[in-house]
Amino acid sequence: MQAAIDAGLSISGNVGKYLESLPRATLDQLYTQPATCLAVLRMLPSLAKHTVLRLLYTSSAVRESVIESWAQPEHSGIFLDILGGLSKLHIVSLGSDGGKRTVSINVVFQTNLHNALVGSGAHSSFGLPSESSDKHRPTTAFLDRYATECWESVLHYLVGTPSEKRPKSPAHHFRESTLTLRRRTDGELRITSKGFQFLLQDQLNMQLVEVLNFFFQLGSLELGQDYSIETLTPTQKHMLDDLKHLGLIYQRKKKSTRFYPTRLATSLTSGSSMSVSLTSRDQAAESEGFIIVETNYRVYAYTNSPLQIAVLSLFVSMRVRFANMVIGLITRDSVRDALAKGITSDQIIAYLTTHAHPEMRKSSPVIPSTIVDQIRLWEMERNRLRISRGYLYQMFSREQDYRDILKQATDFGYELWHSDAKRLIVVSNEGHEHIKAFVARQRQQQQQQQQQR
Amino acid sequence: MVRAVKGVMVECDPAVKQIIKDLDTQHHFIIEDLDETHLFIDASKIEMVQERLEEILEED
Repeated sequence: MQAAIDAGLSISGNVGKYLESLPRATLDQLYTQPATCLAVLRMLPSLAKHTVLRLLYTSSAVRESVIESWAQPEHSGIFLDILGGLSKLHIVSLGSDGGKRTVSINVVFQTNLHNALVGSGAHSSFGLPSESSDKHRPTTAFLDRYATECWESVLHYLVGTPSEKRPKSPAHHFRESTLTLRRRTDGELRITSKGFQFLLQDQLNMQLVEVLNFFFQLGSLELGQDYSIETLTPTQKHMLDDLKHLGLIYQRKKKSTRFYPTRLATSLTSGSSMSVSLTSRDQAAESEGFIIVETNYRVYAYTNSPLQIAVLSLFVSMRVRFANMVIGLITRDSVRDALAKGITSDQIIAYLTTHAHPEMRKSSPVIPSTIVDQIRLWEMERNRLRISRGYLYQMFSREQDYRDILKQATDFGYELWHSDAKRLIVVSNEGHEHIKAFVARQRQQQQQQQQQR
Repeated sequence: MVRAVKGVMVECDPAVKQIIKDLDTQHHFIIEDLDETHLFIDASKIEMVQERLEEILEED
């Protein structure tokens, strides 16, 4: 229980981390859009949501002790963590009043979340539905199929399924974002660690947050409704093109003045897992789990999806392929190949675990521990050397000099290794300048002392 | 009063350390043998050491 609470203190995944890294002014700008405020609220863990809603209609700072009193005394510490998380997002600010710690909600966020909830303020924030009706109105089923096809072609591109048609536009984004890696010799694209992480993640967390407001707005649009592109900014119009290739939105023609969000877009910020709502022929199997791993390193995957087979073959040496299943072997070489691409053992184990066949889930641990241990060992084997760049300080003329420098290095956390017997200190690269300056200062002092004598 | 040398500190198990020491007899890159599990070596040789070590371990 406690672990579950701990895990839910901040917005999960990349979006939350990204938002936290933004400067205050940017966040305030973001919060001027009611749709963004609502989307951020929806992504917060439930206790944080609760806290924000209770603070929404306060007009002055609230004492922290008041907030703590909302919980049973033994759990009051939880709110401290939640408030810390919220202040990182600049939703609340922590202050003090006469020695008592206080909490106040960010006014910009407060106003616009209020607008979102009661429907006042800028209407365009939630998208402008087209006024005219569309002669070629697509059905929801069509939009789903469209979204799935686009999304799968993106995933195929990432794992590098050779036969698959490549998505045109997002390709350069992936290359830029180092999701895939171009191999020098044959120009074939290969997956990198980040790219593999991308595949493993829930679709909700996948989007790189570029134009946040637009993404947050997309999240609150309605499936099957057409929206006018009139209210979009030039940047957002430009984004439409990329989003179209990713299958987030549908436009019948490039010049069309309306666009349809697909299910991928509308559930971007819904805060719940996507895989349930978007079930395609691949994902139906995926959500059930299709992989069986035996203690003899054999892997049976009940799938005919080229994508899943391509992902598996990143770290499994494939042996047999039937109409509805493939059989492969986890070997030292296959795992080492994956590791060489920067895929970690944890990622491999996570993939096998999340996609384990229901039969496998009956046992605990889901993946046989011999397999898990062996994969970890193969990884450790690769990292036989731990390397740290730095400087070796040696030939100290006096014991006292050694002591002083060692103390200085340890105090600042620059010391990597030392030996009193040999009078040697290894200082990290970052610390070298600092220690060098320290040595110079000491030398000066010593010279002055000598002159005084 | 003191001298500072730039380089790379390598941490490894004693067995691997012995292999690196054997490599050193041909290539001379160890600046200081720190202790059982630590070596301080020439920064420009570290890639070579990693590659050679990989090869030697693969042979087994």
